[in-house]
Amino acid sequence: MSPSTTTWDRRKAELELPEEIDLQVELANVGSRTLAILVDIAIGSLVLFIVYSLWELLAHDVAEDWFIKVSSSVVKIALILLIFGFQWCYFNLFEWLWNGQTPGKRLLHLRVIKVDGSPVSGIDVLLRNLSRPVDTLGPMGLIGLLMIFVNRKAQRLGDLMAQTLVIHETAIDWSIFDQVETLDAQAQGVVATPGIRLNSTQWELLHRYLNRRESFEAEVRQRLAPILRDALKRAVRGTDLERSTLAPEDWLLELARRS
Amino acid sequence: MTLGNFVRTNRPRWEQLEKMLAHIEAKGPRKTDRVFLRELSALYRGTTGDLAFAQTHFRGTTLQLFLHQLVARAHNQIYRPHRLSSRVLGSFVFTEIPQAVRQHLSAVTWSAIIFFLGIAMGLSAVQFDERAASIILPNNILNSIYSGQMWTGSIFSVVPAPVASTYLFTSNISVALLAFAGGLSCGVITTWILFQNGFMLGVVFKLCANYGLLGALLEFIASHGWLEISSIVIAGGAGLVMANALINPGSYSRSDALASRGRTAVRMAVGCVPALVISGCIEAFVSPSQAPVWFKMALGLTLGASFWAYLLLTGKATTLTAQSAVQ
Repeated sequence: MSPSTTTWDRRKAELELPEEIDLQVELANVGSRTLAILVDIAIGSLVLFIVYSLWELLAHDVAEDWFIKVSSSVVKIALILLIFGFQWCYFNLFEWLWNGQTPGKRLLHLRVIKVDGSPVSGIDVLLRNLSRPVDTLGPMGLIGLLMIFVNRKAQRLGDLMAQTLVIHETAIDWSIFDQVETLDAQAQGVVATPGIRLNSTQWELLHRYLNRRESFEAEVRQRLAPILRDALKRAVRGTDLERSTLAPEDWLLELARRS
Repeated sequence: MTLGNFVRTNRPRWEQLEKMLAHIEAKGPRKTDRVFLRELSALYRGTTGDLAFAQTHFRGTTLQLFLHQLVARAHNQIYRPHRLSSRVLGSFVFTEIPQAVRQHLSAVTWSAIIFFLGIAMGLSAVQFDERAASIILPNNILNSIYSGQMWTGSIFSVVPAPVASTYLFTSNISVALLAFAGGLSCGVITTWILFQNGFMLGVVFKLCANYGLLGALLEFIASHGWLEISSIVIAGGAGLVMANALINPGSYSRSDALASRGRTAVRMAVGCVPALVISGCIEAFVSPSQAPVWFKMALGLTLGASFWAYLLLTGKATTLTAQSAVQ
């Protein structure tokens, strides 16, 4: 959120929907896009390797002439088609059938969408993937990397041509907004004294920490609590919490109860 | 309203929308009924409202990010493009591809000029100095020609025809698609591919003529050459269209020109794929066979002529409807 946002950080793009709402998406950064490609390449190579070694194993065990004669043709055709298929069909088919995702992209929560937010069509997928030899594969990948760095919307040549974006999706988890249960139990006896106003970012920060604190390691928990207390001190100016001597985590609980 | 209250009030709605989206994303809209779709669109509108509220009151929160994603996913389902049907596929093959080629006939012509320039250079290179052939032809082919033998005989008797045809059409399709994608290099790669393939053909021609193999060579390429050369030239034309968009974008920005012309260029390139599969199979099964020359020639000419008739004559009437179908 600071002005010194770089390519490695989260970049946002604004899209406009027919409902006249500006949709904000998080663009995928260079690192995760490269990693997704590497995952896809690994999958392709693995399939190739398995087919080839299975055939080698069978050819050794079932050493009958006719088998080797027939199967070697079949395996050769299969290998040629696999290499061809990985080069030209893998990305096209997956992005088309999985609505803008390949296995690598799915693993890294990336998705290809149109610049206007709509899902990609077959032609878009073809455009952005047939251009891969020029800006993704082998040494040409440097061109794609450079484009992702320089372009404001992180589009490589193929993305420009197809008018697509690669976005990052954060897994949705509503439970991070849960009110902390123990609070209500504690507060029953005590007269609640609300009155401290937290803004929504502060509120979210506080509750996300309190909700997750049980899952932290003790050492992390010890380290985070004072940092959060210091960050939230501004909100309690003028109340008795400002000079309170409670331990950091109790202090945070108390703040949650009063706000 | 605080963020906590906001989430508590509306969370059931969002979770319901999420559940319905997961369902429709997995099963597709055909497997859902009217009630389901009504509820989905109601939930979508409700959630866009929540998003608008969150954008005003809870700016910069994770909640806003989540709602953005939820709305985007629902938006994708509600405004999804046409799925593939036989009608869409038919109009793609029989209207859009031929129209794209006709629209860019001048680029195809330029591509053919570069290709034939390559042939002419190949012919004259061997004319001046026979050793020029060794820069582009592999040794086994050279030796075979020097000894007055067609190299095709020895290759196709060793490699089974199904394997050879697979290899031939995959490598030809790779060359064609690379010629298309090479347009993004401002046409350098495209031009190089076209020229190199033409040059090789010219060299082979002249060399075979020198060693009395011209008749055998013509017999070999008679059945598949027409289709193969046409396809490479058209794919090269597709690459030149994109190169032209980059070099000479007219009144558009370069990326806009690329986006709009790339859309037709990719159709030209895709149109070559089936033709190259056919020509690869013929090259492996028919060309090296003992079939009579007149049969090979007739087959090649028929295929070449039908390919061009398909590109130049089909899909003339319905211009607007087909364009909107796949977009």
